[in-house]
Amino acid sequence: MKLLQMSASDLRQQLAGAGIWMRTGPFSLRIRSRIPSVAEGLVDLYGQFEVRNAREAFADFHVSLDAPSLLRRWFRPQVDFRFDDQLPFKPLPYDQAYPMLEWGLNWCVSMHAHQYLIIHAAVIEKNGCAAILPAPPGSGKSTLTAGLVLSGWRLLSDELTLIDRTTGMIQPLPRPVSLKNQSIPVIQAFSADAFINRPSHDTAKGTVAHMRPPKESVRRQHEPAQPAWVIFPQWQAHATAELTPRSRAQTMMFLAQNAFNYSHLGADGFRVATRLIDQVSCYDFRYSQLDEAVAVFDQLADVSPDSRLRYA
Amino acid sequence: MRFQLKEYDNEAVVFDTASGDTHLLAPLTLTVFNTVARNPGLSGTDLQSSVATQLALSTNTQLPAMVDDALDRLHQIGLLSTR
Repeated sequence: MKLLQMSASDLRQQLAGAGIWMRTGPFSLRIRSRIPSVAEGLVDLYGQFEVRNAREAFADFHVSLDAPSLLRRWFRPQVDFRFDDQLPFKPLPYDQAYPMLEWGLNWCVSMHAHQYLIIHAAVIEKNGCAAILPAPPGSGKSTLTAGLVLSGWRLLSDELTLIDRTTGMIQPLPRPVSLKNQSIPVIQAFSADAFINRPSHDTAKGTVAHMRPPKESVRRQHEPAQPAWVIFPQWQAHATAELTPRSRAQTMMFLAQNAFNYSHLGADGFRVATRLIDQVSCYDFRYSQLDEAVAVFDQLADVSPDSRLRYA
Repeated sequence: MRFQLKEYDNEAVVFDTASGDTHLLAPLTLTVFNTVARNPGLSGTDLQSSVATQLALSTNTQLPAMVDDALDRLHQIGLLSTR
């Protein structure tokens, strides 16, 4: 069943007890928490995802979020993220429980899913071709990703690009899109279809909220995509939206440096990364207006394969 | 084989299986490496001349230092074991 088919009270009850089992992309999760904002966030953002009784299904990752102690429920309340009953992080303020779940789930995948080369990058798809968007914080990556998926592109992931080491294809993991600070009103103004949950303020990243992934992206979450482009977005005031070719060797080095497990994979990481670069065209992309950016991406995706070669 | 090298256009990336490090070879460094690999025993002057021809550079006063820097870099990486 889908999470949206559960009543809110059932969800809260199961989360507080044995937990709920949920599938996101290739991973199954067991989530436990007594914190109302965690249940609220799941209802808001994961309605289209498959859930089961946690007692009946195997889970890849067992996580929980709760107050560290009874005292910390009342005095400067905090929340702990537990993975297999271990504490990988220091506690955060209680009202950051939901973003902590998202960050913790990213950590679970990036630290353990070594069947993939995992690149810190957003990735989206249209017409069977995927665009990988690696970029440092502040580049406008998440804003661009949100704008594109609200304009018909399929969300594969907002943070973690999973390259299947056997096939070279990109495995979707279409969880909510993380939006920070000014990105939140920008996306709210961009599309009335955007559902963004309640923001958490004063986090390490400023104000953070998450956008619900499109229903179609979740429905196709088991459908891999062919990599076609690596595009480095950079928001720049007054810039005209423009793609410019960039060095493939330097792109490969950037991806290696920004992969979570490139070093861990050794020579196979090099093989997978160079095969990826063999398959894609590489660009820098500057933009200031989201609608112009979407038009440039649409043009890129709509050209025929023969025409696409001219961009390379 | 210790090194895996992949060329892209006029640059390359090199993976060192001994250290696990990955290196970027800029156009001049890659040209020096390929020239030395194909012509072992080439003199310094001939190497500079060949690199200048391949990259359409003038054999100006800076080129010897640039080629020396590239040789040092290849030596540091371990792609060249002798000079």
